[in-house]
Amino acid sequence: MSEVLFKNVGKSFFNKNSTTEKVGPSWAVKDLNFKINNSEFVSFLGPSGCGKTTTLRMIAGLEENTEGQILFDQDIVSDPENNKYLVPEKRNVGMVFQSYAVWPHMSVFENVAYPLKLRKLNKDMIQDEVQKILKIVELDGLEKRRPHELSGGQQQRVALARGLVMKPRILLLDEPLSNLDVKLREKMRRDIRQIQKDFKLTMVYVTHDQVEAFQMSDRILVMNQGVIQQMGTPEEIRNQPANDFVKDFIQ
Amino acid sequence: MKKIIYIFLFAIVIGFFLAPFVYLFSIPDLASFEKVWLHANTLKAIENTFIVAISVGILCTILGLPLAWILTRTDLKYKSTLRSWFCLPYAIPPFVGAIGWIILANPSSGILNQWFKLNLNIYSFSGLIFVEVSFLFTFVLLTALSVMDNLDSSLEEAAKLSGAKPLQVFRHIVLPLLKPALITGFVLSSLATAASFGVPALIGGPARIYLMTTQIFNFQRLGTAEGLQLAIATSVILAMLSLIVLYVNQLIMSRNKINTVGGKSSQRSYTKLHSWNNPLLAILTSILFVIFILPIAALLLSALSPIQGSWNFSELSLINFKRVLFETDETGRAILQSLFLGSCAAVISTVFAFFFNYFVYRTKWIGRNIASVLMSVPFTIPGTVVSLAVILSFSRGYFGFGPSPYNTLWIILIAYIIKYMSLGVKTVGDGYQQINVSLEEAARISGANWWQVMITIYWPLLKSSLVASLFLIFMPVVSELTMTVLLTGPGLETLGPLIFQFQEYSDIGGGGAAVLSVLVVALILLLNFSLKKVSQGRYGL
Repeated sequence: MSEVLFKNVGKSFFNKNSTTEKVGPSWAVKDLNFKINNSEFVSFLGPSGCGKTTTLRMIAGLEENTEGQILFDQDIVSDPENNKYLVPEKRNVGMVFQSYAVWPHMSVFENVAYPLKLRKLNKDMIQDEVQKILKIVELDGLEKRRPHELSGGQQQRVALARGLVMKPRILLLDEPLSNLDVKLREKMRRDIRQIQKDFKLTMVYVTHDQVEAFQMSDRILVMNQGVIQQMGTPEEIRNQPANDFVKDFIQ
Repeated sequence: MKKIIYIFLFAIVIGFFLAPFVYLFSIPDLASFEKVWLHANTLKAIENTFIVAISVGILCTILGLPLAWILTRTDLKYKSTLRSWFCLPYAIPPFVGAIGWIILANPSSGILNQWFKLNLNIYSFSGLIFVEVSFLFTFVLLTALSVMDNLDSSLEEAAKLSGAKPLQVFRHIVLPLLKPALITGFVLSSLATAASFGVPALIGGPARIYLMTTQIFNFQRLGTAEGLQLAIATSVILAMLSLIVLYVNQLIMSRNKINTVGGKSSQRSYTKLHSWNNPLLAILTSILFVIFILPIAALLLSALSPIQGSWNFSELSLINFKRVLFETDETGRAILQSLFLGSCAAVISTVFAFFFNYFVYRTKWIGRNIASVLMSVPFTIPGTVVSLAVILSFSRGYFGFGPSPYNTLWIILIAYIIKYMSLGVKTVGDGYQQINVSLEEAARISGANWWQVMITIYWPLLKSSLVASLFLIFMPVVSELTMTVLLTGPGLETLGPLIFQFQEYSDIGGGGAAVLSVLVVALILLLNFSLKKVSQGRYGL
């Protein structure tokens, strides 16, 4: 597992529609400075469009920052000033998507085995590893099923297993529970937190649901309009909100 | 690697889909346009093209539009069966129908004239228009059907509750909402008429009615410098007119966007026909019989008749099949070469579309949209013009570089790919739009590079679109006539031109063209039904 460090990270784009010439760049996110410790569970919390998903995708390498540096431990994974950018497939980061992104043309087993196949592990090892992970996410016995034969919750677990199986440096979750019903959501929250503790995973969790963030996280990072509002433990944020926005949002 | 492949594909688009047409358009000077203007035959051909194209467009609309409404919005019996039958002529090459109608209604020995003393003469303006309409109404029908399928039933129900009778619902609600589809259908069927070669050559030729396409063919066949000059100038005029008409159509469409069409449709409801049901069913069945079954039955009878012109059922034999298939060298060659060209064109275009569409739908790279448009333009340019552009750009190597593909199968293949690439790009592009980007991102995160993503994620996910693309390109190519007839030569036989040649002069006893036509129709229907089967009704007619 690794720690994640953001140094002055920003992402800007030029507004093509602007008619006036002297319009500066628009910022998706700006001046991001924070550190996520090894084996820590951090939630990015904020309203939709606040830049939390963009920040998460920059960790994955699916989105490139235009300013600043991103480091995993000592390794610089992105540094646009020095033209450094590590492509997502080389970052060894796991991710669970909001839409699950379970490949419909592969069985449960094939979905979970995919990252290991790309790493050229031998067949027996893949078989063992996948079985182990499927047991952890409670999908053992469903290896041969196709995604369309699974419920939403089960697909979610396939996506989680696929992220876990590669022993990632960081596991990213992008609003993973927003498509599940309330009861299932409760159970998944507990399960995810348990797995994170058991594996000592560095986990980044994006959500707009403050209950979820407060219930699960070691620390919470509150964002609005591309800027960090506050970062701290659930208690700190509840007891000492840094500004009015945070105060309003967590009520 | 991703960037290199993109640049490579982009260069191909510019080199194959743009350069030949720019070159063709740059050749004629004012003097050669003046020659066209002063050439009485050419002027007459332009006039004929306008008259025939507009008449066909109007008649197709009159036939196709009510048909589309009846087949989607009423409780007509056997509606879905009739619907698939009425769409079928879209897949069949119209020149095959022309041959069927020549057998039925030529003035000297037409079946209908002989049996019923009808005194029909297919070699006339009305004959030409009739045969074109009997195939091209499907352009109106298919556009109208797709709009009607998405039309919200509640709009019609609201009219009914307001007290409108079925016909009034059609006139007051459906017709105005259909206007865009109607204009598009009219434009497409008119343009298809102006671009058609087989029907005007076979039916207009004997009547000395020439359209621009047949006139270009005649000029090109002269083989003289002046002939070529006139062919090029006429081609440029024809292509310009087509592109202008399409562009104007686009403009009208973008101004008349009606947003209520294509909304989420509620429970479908049907207009009750009551006592009209049986008469309407009889009318539609008769129309279908006349425009589709009759010419194909005539082809069958001709193929099975040892003596053409004395039509009866007592002396049927397979002697024509034996002669054409086993005793004529060209036939075997033509079948093999058509299958070869069809497969090559289908595979190359589909693979190209697979990679190119990735850049269109998954990147924001410069030029991807322009390239996408460029690849769709040749499909809207008349085939005669496309093949002339290909001849001019490739006959001495590619603009003077490399070996010449002229008088080989390769130049025919190049023309097919340029013309039909659009079908592949559209079909595979639709496929890409159905795939959530996160499926690719999940693979990248798992450690797959771009190439691995293409092969392990997109290729299998797009399988049904890729298969559909193969079929949709293969079907028109395997019997292509319009372009091939200008590019072919001795030893380069393909099915379309061979049928044309049999019909025009080389099969003296007769019946040979009918034999091959029957085979082509059977092959295309078979392909169509297989496509419908494998795509579970998403593609195919």
